[in-house]
Amino acid sequence: MNPRRFISAIAVIFLQSLVLSFPSQADQKINTTVVAKEKNVLYLFNWNNYISADTVERFEQYCNCELSQDYYSDNEEMLAKLVAGATGYDIIVPTGNAVETLIRQGALKPLDKKLLPSFKNIDPRYLNSSFDPGNKYSIPYAYTLTLLGFNQKIIQELNLPTDTWAIIFEPQYLEKIKGRVTVLDSQRELMAIALRYLGYPVNDTDEKHWKKAQELIARAKPYWAAFSNTSYVKELAVGNLWVVHGYSNDIFQAALDAKNTGRKFNIIYRIPKEGAVLSLDSIVLHKDGSRPDLAYQFIEFMLDGKNSAELTNLIGSGNPNTHAIQSIRKDIIENKAIFPDQESFTRLEMLRDFNRNQRRLLGRIWTEIKLR
Amino acid sequence: MIKEKNIVRWLLSGVPLLFLLLFFIAPSLIIVFTSFRFPGEFGGLAPLIAPMGTVDVEHGLTLEAYQFFFSDTLYVRVFIKSLQVAVVTTLICLIMSYPLALLIARSKERLRNIMLLLVVLPFASNFLIRIYAWVIILDPESALSYFINLILNLVGISPVIFLFSPFAVLLGMVYVHLPFMILPLYINLEKHDPILLDAAQDLGASHWKCFWYITWPLSISGVSSGIVLVFISALGMFAVPDILGGTGDILIGNLIKDQFISTRDWPFGAVLSIMLALTILLIIGLGAYFLRRLRKRNYAT
Amino acid sequence: MRHSHSKLWIAGALVYIFLYTPLAIVVIYSFNDSKLNTEWVGFTLSWYEALFNNKEMLIAVCNSLIIAISSSFGATILGTMAGLAIHRYKLRVLSILFFAPIAMPEILLGVSLLLFFLQVLNLTLGMVSIIIAHTTFCIGFVAIIVKSRLQDMDESIFESARDLGASSWQCFHLVTLPLIMPAMVAGALMSFTLSIDDFIITFFTKGVGDPILPIQIYTMIKVAVTPEVNAISTLLMLLTLFTIIIGIKLSSSFLYVRKNNEST
Repeated sequence: MNPRRFISAIAVIFLQSLVLSFPSQADQKINTTVVAKEKNVLYLFNWNNYISADTVERFEQYCNCELSQDYYSDNEEMLAKLVAGATGYDIIVPTGNAVETLIRQGALKPLDKKLLPSFKNIDPRYLNSSFDPGNKYSIPYAYTLTLLGFNQKIIQELNLPTDTWAIIFEPQYLEKIKGRVTVLDSQRELMAIALRYLGYPVNDTDEKHWKKAQELIARAKPYWAAFSNTSYVKELAVGNLWVVHGYSNDIFQAALDAKNTGRKFNIIYRIPKEGAVLSLDSIVLHKDGSRPDLAYQFIEFMLDGKNSAELTNLIGSGNPNTHAIQSIRKDIIENKAIFPDQESFTRLEMLRDFNRNQRRLLGRIWTEIKLR
Repeated sequence: MIKEKNIVRWLLSGVPLLFLLLFFIAPSLIIVFTSFRFPGEFGGLAPLIAPMGTVDVEHGLTLEAYQFFFSDTLYVRVFIKSLQVAVVTTLICLIMSYPLALLIARSKERLRNIMLLLVVLPFASNFLIRIYAWVIILDPESALSYFINLILNLVGISPVIFLFSPFAVLLGMVYVHLPFMILPLYINLEKHDPILLDAAQDLGASHWKCFWYITWPLSISGVSSGIVLVFISALGMFAVPDILGGTGDILIGNLIKDQFISTRDWPFGAVLSIMLALTILLIIGLGAYFLRRLRKRNYAT
Repeated sequence: MRHSHSKLWIAGALVYIFLYTPLAIVVIYSFNDSKLNTEWVGFTLSWYEALFNNKEMLIAVCNSLIIAISSSFGATILGTMAGLAIHRYKLRVLSILFFAPIAMPEILLGVSLLLFFLQVLNLTLGMVSIIIAHTTFCIGFVAIIVKSRLQDMDESIFESARDLGASSWQCFHLVTLPLIMPAMVAGALMSFTLSIDDFIITFFTKGVGDPILPIQIYTMIKVAVTPEVNAISTLLMLLTLFTIIIGIKLSSSFLYVRKNNEST
């Protein structure tokens, strides 16, 4: 048999078996992760920097187990990895719209509230949200706001407003801070505040409104230094950036850094008058997790006021746990940008997930924005 | 040729062949197949056959993803932009690499080995580090930025921020690809017979003429290997614009990555990948065609 | 030499400076006693200390080494077979097939393997998926190196061995193998380096829970740039330098043996 025929024979057999294998979506996954599943490990898929090392240590002692963490810096990244078949996580901490997606996908285990006596600690304002009525699947963990952070000294010198999104969208203000502004590198977040600034709801799906928002962004883009999800924190703390569109806990960190390194300026942050995005992050149980017992222990542990407060004290995230209030630092409690009062609360909106057509369209708008 | 038993032949070529069929050809076919499917409601792919008991679930094959690609000139423009960046990167690499490769090729044997080692060493350091190094250098607070801006200030130009700009991306691209160009060039130049150049010089040719009429034509195959390596790699690159470009730039590599990591639109990601592969094949094909014509012309003269 | 004049030297030197300055800065600042990579404050080894205390980083290094060794092993064996096959059977198809993975941009390989693992094999992404991916793209490199070595060799050696009565296996074992050994070693080292270094393909085929070195570095660069990154970079450069030196020593010792045999 000559080699040529041999090769074509193999190829044909191959293609046939390939085509035949398609309809079968076997449930058995060939599990190849190296770590043995018998060990006492709880797998947590969490945001970067979203749990204090002290908390982790104490939990590991408390449950006599190991907490293994994997990180994401964006809900989309987390969802993409899960859709791509990433399995093995017991606990995930998605934001509201991602919780909705996961519920609809059937990827979560419903929670047995009987195992979570401390559930009553949660502030009712954060319960029963549109993405999980009755909190069948999720327990609020922490929340952050997406808002503006400023280098107080320079902004005051330039006489710029600190209570509106206009400062990053209007050329009259942007001219003075050209190259010193960054915005989040997130399709949803940036579109949300652009829509909000124009007076539309953040979950608006009207294509005409999207076009207007796109034009707004395109007009402002030449003045922005970069789209940044994480590096803006350091640059703000060091004084390279003067205005950032970012997450409240990141800006809190920047403010802390600036103070600790003795910078001659303060970092301040505000909820703009047009409104802001509220990201409520909740703990959910993934259906592929193998240690629900440890997972419940973790949730109950985090529902305890003291443990919950640790994260807030560390990173300045909002806390939906009423029992945590007494353990949180006074200056954080009084910060309206972290713990919004009732009036500001009405100006906050949560993002909801889009369907696939909207996602595709948004993807195209985003590409257009990015292409210079 | 040695006569061997057939079984040896089969094993020798068959085993690696099977491996590549499985892990290279099959995945490529999957990409083609994926480009004809609907994206899943939550990301990924919609099923091929409607699952039992559900109503109105998208399934089956479609040209929708391709239509989306061609529905707007946007994506072609991204391709063109990426091509531009790749071309510029390749040219700069060629111009920078040629003198060095020439230098190494003409040096004494022992010096040559050390010089080669020195070229390969940065290449052997981690890819991300080579990019990261420029993040440090171009940082607005770094010594270099400070120094250059000082000079610009004297001339009256306002300070320039180098990081997160097209300049930074180009710099990073060139830096990462230099060894890809130097090595194939060197391998070719090393084989050149110095007698040719001696003869030319004896006949009174200047250095430039020696280069242009003798060295350059002989080095074409090395040049083309280098160009191919750099160009293809540069076209699909996403890490450099991602880290150095401030993500305000979108090249085809970033776009493809986004489809799988952010937008969760696999069919469209597959379409983009296929378009990239076709572009590369087209360019290699054109390149090979021109190369053959060039060779014919060289032999004719 | 007559044909290399001073302008060439200057140009060459400039390129070398361009190549090395960034790396030198990375190394130097890894010893800098400051969180920011901008001003030199003082000498310290604290970043290296932090690195060794970073549990995740250590696991990532282990994982990357395991992957690199496994995939270079696989790639060397398969690539050598491929190189031999291409050289002997001179089939165009084989050539194209084995060298195509090198020619493709890594992102295409990564994405296609991701889809393949998930859709067809239903494989949970993890160490195995990465090892398979790395092996796939390294086979071509080993094949090229082995093939060029075979091309440079004198065919008459095989014929004389045959004439002296050696069987097929003896021919391979005692003649071919030692002669291509330097190529195999070079291929193995190249695969090892490529695997440790690889970012793009690993990015798409890695699973959850297994930290891998380049991905760790990427996360560090994007999230919290501390000089720890400089420290790990310096160590990696030392590792690759070490690998290359071993490679040179090993292959030159084989060459030496060969020269000796030839003279007798």
